[in-house]
Amino acid sequence: MSSAEGSTLSREGTDLDSEFSQLLSAARPYQVVVWNDPVNLMTYVSWVFRSYFGHSKARAEQLMMQVHEQGRAVVAHGPREKAEQDVTAMHQYGLQATLEEAE
Amino acid sequence: MATAFRATTRGYRADLEQHERRLLSSLCADVIELLESREDDAASNDAGSRNAAEDPAFAHFRAELAGLGGEEPLEPPEDDVLRRLLPDASTDPEEAGHFRRLSENSLRGAKIADLRTARMLLESTPVTMDEELAPVFGRALNDLRLTLASRLQLNTAEDAERVHKLAVGASAKDTDSFMAEIYTFMTWLQETLFSAMTEFLPEHGTAAEGADSNGPDSHGTDADTASGDAGPGDSGPRDAGPESSGGAGTSSR
Repeated sequence: MSSAEGSTLSREGTDLDSEFSQLLSAARPYQVVVWNDPVNLMTYVSWVFRSYFGHSKARAEQLMMQVHEQGRAVVAHGPREKAEQDVTAMHQYGLQATLEEAE
Repeated sequence: MATAFRATTRGYRADLEQHERRLLSSLCADVIELLESREDDAASNDAGSRNAAEDPAFAHFRAELAGLGGEEPLEPPEDDVLRRLLPDASTDPEEAGHFRRLSENSLRGAKIADLRTARMLLESTPVTMDEELAPVFGRALNDLRLTLASRLQLNTAEDAERVHKLAVGASAKDTDSFMAEIYTFMTWLQETLFSAMTEFLPEHGTAAEGADSNGPDSHGTDADTASGDAGPGDSGPRDAGPESSGGAGTSSR
């Protein structure tokens, strides 16, 4: 698969989905959590956050440091279907990620 | 001796020795084989799935159907490496099992495809790849590192230190120190690739960063439009809006 195409598509999906869920107020929000591990490189994790989620350099590095220092960080919010896609994408990159209902 | 990955006009390139390329390629083959063995496991796990075991395409179809129907959760793999490459998607085991039933097949397929592409790229020297293939190679390399790390029981920062010492210090070569040495080599190679790749990402990102905080200001239409039609790499200067809303989202965490 092409990660560039995938990330563009999924960002469009997020925007549409978040508009729909605001309109319908039906879908419960989910969040994507990335967990720390001693193997994934800081450079790599930042790159994934920037490339997949389209985060700025500063935001990606902040999230990466949060994972590193606090053991986990919420990297994305959205309707369940989108959050599931994101978790699978993180797994494809080899990051430990889980899905949970947003507080 | 290998040289680091560096950017070229057509993508990225590294000069690897033949034995280095062969080693990485055979590790890819090992991990592909391991991932394929999981397919047999998962199929035989299924009660009354003789047809599925005979036909992988059908097994995939069945698994997808079962997932959609919310049927039996799929148990995680027993093998440590497989469990690391195909991790749980939830801290709740039952939820993770249902998610696994739905998505594990396609995740495994995607990883196998990455590793096969990496093997193809490792066939020639220097090892070169364009912008599109670099992340694929990077993911495959990461899966190789995860595999060795799991076999070396590298689970904590202290373990990482132990593996590093094993790699640099050992003169008597046992299996572990050999694996540690390869692991360290791949870590270096991956670091050089992603350092080079990072140079080409837009500093300010392409996402409407306010949106991922789910905050009250996350419905800004300007930001939505900007991210909606921004192709990868052509966002750039006009992303000043999302960047500032990203700052707001950040401070609220």
